[in-house]
Amino acid sequence: MEKVFMYTLSTCPWCKKTKKFFDKRNIPYDYVDIDKLKDENEKERIIQEMKRKGGSTATPYVIIGDEVIIGYKPKKYAELLGIEE
Amino acid sequence: MSSEARTERRKNKLRELFTRVVDPLGYKFSPDEELVDFLLEQEVMTEREKGAPYCPCQALPGNREEDMKLVCPCIPFNRKHFDIMKRCWCGLFVHKDVTNPDELEQISPKELEKMEKETSE
Repeated sequence: MEKVFMYTLSTCPWCKKTKKFFDKRNIPYDYVDIDKLKDENEKERIIQEMKRKGGSTATPYVIIGDEVIIGYKPKKYAELLGIEE
Repeated sequence: MSSEARTERRKNKLRELFTRVVDPLGYKFSPDEELVDFLLEQEVMTEREKGAPYCPCQALPGNREEDMKLVCPCIPFNRKHFDIMKRCWCGLFVHKDVTNPDELEQISPKELEKMEKETSE
């Protein structure tokens, strides 16, 4: 199964919903709550990456394989992972 | 006054202030009251920590000019995008005619670009 990684914000309810989508299906993922980062350089690097690849710093910013999905999109997650929504 | 009471008071104040901004733009608070309450709470906390009620669902770029565009309500800076979604990014505000906000999906800027290209062809 494709690797799942996401940039999120601890303040964002859609990020919480996205995490719950994968948790409920026991799909492993890694994430970074950008607003909780202490390292400003790391935060800056992530922001630049989000802008470059996704054209936005909006969250949830989900990376499945090499595809970027911005926003809470359960249909898309299921499609990319080949699972039922 | 307890911290909770101060938070509640500030949330009510933000409701008042935001209504005056979004109403003329054709938006209202989402009918999803639980979501609205949660988002306002996040904004009060962010305001305390960072000095302004930034959008809870968009990471701050880190330069003042771009950050200011994410101060809630950020509708004026994203008017076309949000009008297409009939909601703002975090879902705090929806168009006045929306009754079921769960039907409204987030459309990313890149998806929007693609939609616009397809309709202009």
